[in-house]
Amino acid sequence: MSNYKILNNDVHKDLRVNTSRSAQLGDNIMYTMTFPMEFRDIQSCYPIFFCKDPESGQLYPAALLGFEQDQNLFLSDSGWDATYIPLMVRRHPFLIGFQANPDGGEGATKPVVSIDSDSPRLINNAGSEEGEALFNQEGAPSDFLQTSIGALESIHRGLEHNKGFIAALLEHELLESFSLEITLNDGSNNQLMGFYTIAEEKLQSLDGDTLAKFNAQGYLQSIYMAIASFARLRPMIDKKNAQLA
Amino acid sequence: MNQRINRVVIVGGGTAGWLTAGVIAAEHCIGSQNSSPEDSFHLTLVESPDIPTIGVGEGTWPSMRSTLQKMGISETDFFRECSASFKQGTLFKGWRTGANDIYTHPFTAPQSYNEVNLAPHWQTAREQINFAQAVSPQSALFADKLAPKQISTPEYAFNVNYGYHLDAAKFAEFLRKHCVEKLGVTHIKANVTGINSADNGDIASIATDSHGNIEGDLFIDCSGSRALLLGEHFGIPLCSKSDILFNNTALAAQIPYTDENDPIESCTLSTAQSAGWIWEIGLPTRRGIGHVYSSDHNTEERASEELLSYIASTVSEQAAAAATLRKVQFSPGHRAKFWHKNCVAIGMSAGFIEPLEASALVLVELSAAMIAEQLPANREVMDLVAERFNDKFLYRWDRIIEFLKLHYVLSQRRDTQYWRDNCEASSIPEQLTDLLALWRHQSPWHRDTNNADDMFPSASFQYVLYGMDFETMPSQTERRSEQADQQRAGRLFQENAARTQQLKTSLPTNRDLINKIYTFGFQKI
Repeated sequence: MSNYKILNNDVHKDLRVNTSRSAQLGDNIMYTMTFPMEFRDIQSCYPIFFCKDPESGQLYPAALLGFEQDQNLFLSDSGWDATYIPLMVRRHPFLIGFQANPDGGEGATKPVVSIDSDSPRLINNAGSEEGEALFNQEGAPSDFLQTSIGALESIHRGLEHNKGFIAALLEHELLESFSLEITLNDGSNNQLMGFYTIAEEKLQSLDGDTLAKFNAQGYLQSIYMAIASFARLRPMIDKKNAQLA
Repeated sequence: MNQRINRVVIVGGGTAGWLTAGVIAAEHCIGSQNSSPEDSFHLTLVESPDIPTIGVGEGTWPSMRSTLQKMGISETDFFRECSASFKQGTLFKGWRTGANDIYTHPFTAPQSYNEVNLAPHWQTAREQINFAQAVSPQSALFADKLAPKQISTPEYAFNVNYGYHLDAAKFAEFLRKHCVEKLGVTHIKANVTGINSADNGDIASIATDSHGNIEGDLFIDCSGSRALLLGEHFGIPLCSKSDILFNNTALAAQIPYTDENDPIESCTLSTAQSAGWIWEIGLPTRRGIGHVYSSDHNTEERASEELLSYIASTVSEQAAAAATLRKVQFSPGHRAKFWHKNCVAIGMSAGFIEPLEASALVLVELSAAMIAEQLPANREVMDLVAERFNDKFLYRWDRIIEFLKLHYVLSQRRDTQYWRDNCEASSIPEQLTDLLALWRHQSPWHRDTNNADDMFPSASFQYVLYGMDFETMPSQTERRSEQADQQRAGRLFQENAARTQQLKTSLPTNRDLINKIYTFGFQKI
């Protein structure tokens, strides 16, 4: 379970973060949320699908990492084997929290950096050489923390961007449900269910005005990157078959 | 006689009127037609600004989902605007013995119902597990007040089959808005002051106080139990069914929740009384609780005492003290025919019977769907369509009446005259008596309801029969097919138990899901 606390350079001054990648540290995930702003990097490594948040039913784009629960085919004994690691993976153990903002008027909130105090990544030992420090001697954010905060800011913007992107896709009925049956070399079947993908027939029948609007909003590029990312399925199947061999 | 039928006039604007308008308008694309004005199809609904709607039928069948979907209604809007909640069936209390006996009639048919009849295989285990629980996960779900789906399930789709409970007044208003704004229905607020006949006896137009004469080719009477057109004008009589189904009076109350987060029932509760039964329907905003009884067997005073004591024990003493009861009287029965000349009755104008299996709205849906589908092209062919309509709906009314009567005749209660009278052979339709004799030796299955117009599937008969402890004797000789199915049946019982557990842990409560619909809405995909 997670237990997020607002990050504080006094309480958390001695904390260090293990940045290596492993199942023990929680990287054994089948898919993770992604954002159009990182689609260019994501599609060079992972297939992009869409799935629903079980708590709200809202759709979001996701990078596929494995074919079953807790399986991440990019994880090996030597770490994460890909040129790009998704923002939502890199954010750990941090999260953007929201705090009441009295300056902004009634009900206003401001984003604050929070940290999961139960995260297996935390090393509570000032003398340790392992991992990355959060603050320097003077209590100022380390380079590592600054980079992490940058990632959180990107996620914050990405969440907003996803809302508009998904709403536009749904309005034009450009998403369709999809299930994929993958037969591995050992004869076993893996069925991927509960995912959605771009409805290409609908896309091809969009009128010029809608296409122009999508282009201006940057959605058109994101849509085609998602479609192109399908090509990344094959290398994943090969990876899985190699593990079985 | 070759006059085209392209002006349909609906008289009356309750749920029956607006549901009928929506079904016909959507099928005939009235809101989006491109033809010239004289060729185009017109649907007008005339509603009295002075007569309040009666608001019957707060429970629907699963059929309402596709009815709404075909009308182009968003299920999210429907939930948000009609105070709707999920209904997964009915739970009957006290019907068997009058003590604390319980059985259920869920909307989901038994496991693999199309391939295996589980009823004979359940007989050997009937002491250990009740029928509904053995064959379907649904009654366990409504015991926990769970929803039939998740927020990530697309609109109108489900994990287990469902219909709705709804606020009838809000529903009529919601449909009106949709019909007028999206489906091209013309809405006229006026009182009908007279009916003008054509030479052939058809209705040529209706006279109104504020909009003159309104002409039409087909008139649909949705004016309620008064049956302004079919009853008062054409004199088509009501066929009373009070010799079979005795209930003719209802006392209804709306009871607020004690706490706004109180759980919402996900089935209709029906609790037998000394001379009738009490319904309880959970909406997000309130409970609808009412007592429907026979005025020949009970006084209003005693009936309201029973109702208030039910409210006091299931909700609170305060709620019972604060309750206002509204009395509705009705004559159980239906018109001798429903379509006469160029007039067809839908809703209470066609007939009304106690709401034991929520048959009121589904009859409106079926009537409207048949008119929409078989709308006569011209006056010449109308009489044939009318004859078919009459045959079909007379058959359906008979089936409904038999199925409702079944609930009474299986009772072991003999504590009041009402229950004793209900088991008098003279009050039981002949076909029902015959079927009960047959079902002593073989359990109902597809062969018993193979007519497309049957209202209740054989699975419903199984749920009521075996819920009420009816016994079907085992076959007297060995049967090859039963032996072959035996292993399969055992597996299906196990699968049902596993699926029940899995659904119980993955489905949200009725209240939680409805709150999520308010916040997030359902997805269309």
